[in-house]
Amino acid sequence: MPLPAQLDRTIVTGTIMASAIGLPYIVALSLLGLMGRISGAEVVWWLLAGLILVGAIGSVTSNNVVHAALSLVVAAMGVAGMFLLLASEFLALVQVLVYGGGVAILLLFALMMTNASDDPIVVDGSQKPFGFGVALIMGIVMVSAMVGASWDATITTVVSFRDIGTRLYRDYGVPFEVASLVLLVALVGAIAIARRDTEESDAA
Amino acid sequence: MISLNHYLALSGVLFALGFYGVLVRRSAILILIAVELMLAAVSINFVAFASYLDAKLFTGVIFAIFVITIAAAEVGLALGIVLRIYRERSTANVDEASTLKW
Repeated sequence: MPLPAQLDRTIVTGTIMASAIGLPYIVALSLLGLMGRISGAEVVWWLLAGLILVGAIGSVTSNNVVHAALSLVVAAMGVAGMFLLLASEFLALVQVLVYGGGVAILLLFALMMTNASDDPIVVDGSQKPFGFGVALIMGIVMVSAMVGASWDATITTVVSFRDIGTRLYRDYGVPFEVASLVLLVALVGAIAIARRDTEESDAA
Repeated sequence: MISLNHYLALSGVLFALGFYGVLVRRSAILILIAVELMLAAVSINFVAFASYLDAKLFTGVIFAIFVITIAAAEVGLALGIVLRIYRERSTANVDEASTLKW
């Protein structure tokens, strides 16, 4: 039986790979958690880490630009979960609102408006092997440095909304206002750049 | 027990993935997506350090708020530029938009 047109090869292989890797991952984590080898927080951490990495890998390797944008949303939601684990509820909410709402919609809009979808697109440049090597080396260096470090660190209690508001408006009031100005200028600039030019006579 | 190193390693991997995307992608929008991944990695780092080492002042959380703000502004502005380039050249690939003046 031939596959329906929408069900292309990447989706099928992606589903099979997700089931083959994701299900054993989740089952193993659940078993470890139930047996008491790792705490519940660790189970959640590893699940979120897996989610973030799946989303990140998907968004930098997918050949379908819309899949890449949606994978970014998956990774961003995982990051929001990490913020929750790090006891920063406010940041988790902001992350969901800004990335799940604003940035994802903006990216999808731009993809729709610039996507000439009639020809097969080559999404990766010819520098791909070199880029892979450089990124791999950088990742190995960073992770090895970070895993080996030792910190005198303890996790805090929840950072409350009230504390964040006090810090943000009392100690960082000026940067906050500057940030709002940056947003305003960026949005006005984006409109000025992207808007269609009208007749020159109108401008004069 | 989740240590600070867990978060640092995760953000290192995430940053490297975003870096890979920035290096290999051709479309400006896909490069932007990869930049967002790198910014998310940096945010995780900030918040992790704030939660573990800076319980009283949590400056990293404030920094992460600013990172998200600037990221949103950057995406809006960059997408405006991408739309403009696409209208002028009918391509959004950075390797084809290589001249400064048409």
